Amino acid sequence: MRVSLNLIKKYVDLPKNLTDKQIAYDMTLRTVEVDKVEDVSLKYHDIVVGKILEVKKHPNADRLKICITDIGEDKPVQIVCGGSNLYEGEYVVVSKPGAEVVWHGEGEPVKVEETKMRGETSYGMICAASEVYLSDFFPSDNENEIIDLKGIDCKPGDAIANLIGMNDTVLEIDNKSLSNRPDLWGHYGIARELSTIYNVPLKNLSKYELDKNLPKYNVEIEDTTKCNRYVAVEIDGIYEKESPIWMKSLLSKTGQRPINAIVDITNYVMMAVGQPLHAFDRNHVNGEKIIVRNAKENEELLLLDNNTIKLTTDDLVICDEKDAMALAGIRGGKKDSILPDTKGIVLEVANFSASAIRKTGKRFAEKTDASIRYEKGIDTQRIDEGLSLALELIKEIFPDSKIIKYSDVYPNRTKKNEIKVSEEFLDTRLGKKISKDKIKQILISLGYEVSYNNGVYDVMVPTWRSTGDVTIKDDVMGDIARILSFDSFEAKPINITIEHPIIQNDVLLNRRIEEYLSSRCGFYEIYTYPWIDEKYIHAAKIDISKSLKLATPPAPSLAYLRSSLIPGMLEAIAKNLRYYNEFKLFEKAEVYQKGDYRPSSNDEILPIQNNYLTGCIVGKNAKEIFYEAKGVIENMARYCHMENIKLEKIEKPNYADINAYLNVTKDDEIIGSLGLLSVQVMSDSKIKRTNVAIFEINSDKLDTYNSRTNKYERLPELPLVEKDLSILVDKEVEWNKIEESIKSMVKEIEFIDEYKGSQVPSDKKSITLKVKMINEFTTMTSEQINEKINNVLKVLNKKCGAELRTE
Amino acid sequence: MKERLEEIKTKGIERIENVKNITELEQVRKDLTGKKSELSKVLKSMNDLSSEEKKSIGMLTTEIKTSFVEKLNLKEEELIASLSVLEEPIDLTLPGKKVNEGALHPITQMKNDLNDAFLSLGFEVYSEDDISSEKYAFDNLNFAKDHPARQSMDTYWLEGTEAKEGAERLCLRPHLTGGSVRYLQKHGAPARFVYPGGAYRNETTDARHERAFFQYEALIVDKDISFSSGMVLIQTILEKVFGRKINTRMREGFFPFTEPGYEIDMECLVCCGKGCKVCNHNGWIEVMPGGVIHPNVLKSAGLNPEEWTGFYINIGLDRLVMMRYGIDDVRLFHSADLRFLKQFK
Repeated sequence: MRVSLNLIKKYVDLPKNLTDKQIAYDMTLRTVEVDKVEDVSLKYHDIVVGKILEVKKHPNADRLKICITDIGEDKPVQIVCGGSNLYEGEYVVVSKPGAEVVWHGEGEPVKVEETKMRGETSYGMICAASEVYLSDFFPSDNENEIIDLKGIDCKPGDAIANLIGMNDTVLEIDNKSLSNRPDLWGHYGIARELSTIYNVPLKNLSKYELDKNLPKYNVEIEDTTKCNRYVAVEIDGIYEKESPIWMKSLLSKTGQRPINAIVDITNYVMMAVGQPLHAFDRNHVNGEKIIVRNAKENEELLLLDNNTIKLTTDDLVICDEKDAMALAGIRGGKKDSILPDTKGIVLEVANFSASAIRKTGKRFAEKTDASIRYEKGIDTQRIDEGLSLALELIKEIFPDSKIIKYSDVYPNRTKKNEIKVSEEFLDTRLGKKISKDKIKQILISLGYEVSYNNGVYDVMVPTWRSTGDVTIKDDVMGDIARILSFDSFEAKPINITIEHPIIQNDVLLNRRIEEYLSSRCGFYEIYTYPWIDEKYIHAAKIDISKSLKLATPPAPSLAYLRSSLIPGMLEAIAKNLRYYNEFKLFEKAEVYQKGDYRPSSNDEILPIQNNYLTGCIVGKNAKEIFYEAKGVIENMARYCHMENIKLEKIEKPNYADINAYLNVTKDDEIIGSLGLLSVQVMSDSKIKRTNVAIFEINSDKLDTYNSRTNKYERLPELPLVEKDLSILVDKEVEWNKIEESIKSMVKEIEFIDEYKGSQVPSDKKSITLKVKMINEFTTMTSEQINEKINNVLKVLNKKCGAELRTE
Repeated sequence: MKERLEEIKTKGIERIENVKNITELEQVRKDLTGKKSELSKVLKSMNDLSSEEKKSIGMLTTEIKTSFVEKLNLKEEELIASLSVLEEPIDLTLPGKKVNEGALHPITQMKNDLNDAFLSLGFEVYSEDDISSEKYAFDNLNFAKDHPARQSMDTYWLEGTEAKEGAERLCLRPHLTGGSVRYLQKHGAPARFVYPGGAYRNETTDARHERAFFQYEALIVDKDISFSSGMVLIQTILEKVFGRKINTRMREGFFPFTEPGYEIDMECLVCCGKGCKVCNHNGWIEVMPGGVIHPNVLKSAGLNPEEWTGFYINIGLDRLVMMRYGIDDVRLFHSADLRFLKQFK
């Protein structure tokens, strides 16, 4: 909503010396955030009234004229102009050098400069309405016509901003922040807040009183659950004409387009008090009767643009005896339009239930200024304010008009909520004692009726806050706190009792894992979206039958939610390969699949959701990165203090190469996998000229130790003897077999290196390993060492067919 | 004889002074103080001398030898001090060896910082799943039945459940706040916990708006506490994050699950409150909504609002991290772009 401070100042005398910025700031802290403070006169700087003294022919251009113009400066100036309606003595709008205009009413504003046009000096320009944001005030169909200020009281040099009431500041407030405050959808409501904030009186809105002893206009409300009140006033002597400048000005500043005086009055009242109004041409109302009823199934409403909309029985319509004229509280139809032949109107000031308007509005996906306000819940009493202001304006703008008939059908009245608020409650929750007088002053200024008895305030909530906004004592407390300003309360320390230490092993394990991967193993952590591009789901060969889908995804290809972190990782790898050849990434996030999971209550059945951990190592040497990734998993349990996980080859993950994968297991259950990406997966996900080792683990299955579990080992008193051996074995012999065969014979075995190539026979490989030996009581002699090594070699030969490699 | 000794001394000291390295020094030591040294020869040739002379020559010889040993030791120290393990000097300006790269996401770093701060204040860390239901995301939190946030324009509903209601209508959680009721239902009051996590909203994205974003919510439920106690938490958080006191303001804000609700703005650190693009030219950045828990929320958590009260603060982690580093595009957080991530080691 756009709030004109000039209009606000009609309703409340704000303290002097208050800057507009300060007003915006105080409102932001206490009532609603002001997004922008806009000086609306700025658009019109250096734009003034000019009087054309002389119109001369341009020597070099037939279409241009030279106008000697008085712009209120020492001397008249020369302006070149191509306007079709120039004449001597004409009062025009002049943009002086420095002003900003929009060429031909289109595009960005351009700064006016003193220039030569076809050889003749032009001091600024004489403007058409669309060039200087004046179309609302001086509508014209002919773009060659400049503005003629005939009939307007002005003199050369007058600032245009003054002339059209644009010397004003507009506060811009996001409509979203007003959703819970239906009372703030008009200037009068904002004025009430400011009168409370600055503790100054709020003036009366309008003194107009309608003589209610008039013949009745025939109004019938069929569905009183949807229409709470309907006032109809038939007025004669109203016709289509332009509004006065001050009214156009207010509408233009608040974002409404001036249309004609009748429509403008209804919009003005809506901007002033937040009550929508509607005017019907009285001659179009068949049978001089208004019926408020639910539409018939498939009933049609003809709109102004000659389209029709189909209605249902849920929609409330305003009808005459023949057919529907308007969609209640949302929009008018063709039948009710004000036309050049209009001679009188039926003015509707009505109150429709918020839920009915919301329902219909939602179905037509349409929000109008009226429906937005009705949706929030307006009190029925606001009709009186709106009506009296509207009638006052009508009297002013159509002095000859006459009210002929009147009707007020009022089935439901907004009741004031009654709330008891104890002093003790306020003291505790506010955290400080506020005087009774202050509390009363704040509440009364906001419109509450307050009485105080024995430590309890009996509070009557004003009707404009009783449509859902203020219902419980906490709401009243909130009103007091915000008007005092939350900032004015000192921070109060919180007292706590220490009962037990907080030990959250799962939180700690999570932290250890992320730090292990990032700091010790050199991975960068990434976050990806939970919705996954189908391209990568297919690339990773993921079965989507158990995947969940979004009803309204960010894009059609992003409908599936992740059931694995691998596809997201594939995308991240492909993207980063544009800039880096080698890198390591990891992600921890939830994955989802269809299933039955009830974390909180029995009626809530959620899909199965698990925390997963995935990581990848990207690099050229497939073998190297595979073993690096394997090392990351092998060491994780030890470094992160969790129960052991194992790597075994059980079943091939879909993403993996046929020769390089392992499963991660814990207590004989598969909880993850590790492998090289297969050629096909890489090709499908556009991962080129590199290799990727990737792992994925269901981290919910990982268990932390409650405490450190490894035992201290006494330091050996005797030296450990180390011996490196290079052996030749058949290619197929796995390290596991070698290790197992001699494990019991020595203290430790360490793998050093594997070699295949020209130095060894083609069906063989060379393995270098280190064995560590120790005697229990005495230092090993060289004979003992040799004997041990020989035994080791014998066993290796017997079990693995190994030969000692000789250089 | 004395002259000879003087000569031995002068020459010897000269030799010591000219020594260039340890090997040479050992040779000189042998030559000057060894069994075959000039001094030894002098001692051996003393037989012809009188006992008086023997005594004075002996003393002189010992004196010279002592001074040789002293000088040799000094020289040795000097030589050792000038020894280097390197054969020749190296280029000290060459870069050092790279350490292991890798880093946590800046959001995770911020989350961990906040966790540390809150753990020190005796808070528990709680987490809830991404997918929740309308019951927990809206109904329990006092959202009106036809609140616009419930529409699919705002919330990501799961296909097949979007037309259902309550516990059967499932969504990617649009905020973390639903988790508060889950926690309170399970653990009761009093309670003091934080819950970090991701939240998802159907939005048009730009440099300031994201569909997936991170929140960090803190909640206290206790008896007889005032909403102003929440300010202590806010100050703690900001001081922890930025290492100094940060100007804040607390202003009116409305959320269905609070009464009263407030917004906490911090001074824009990019322009120091003067107004810039990042803060939409008003000098303040909205970082934390908060407020007193609405009685209806306490009721849905099974607590009596006459007995218990409490308050929330909900920190927009993205905004806070953006302020911390001056990041100007929120979409970078989900970009997985290493050029971005490598900056936060």
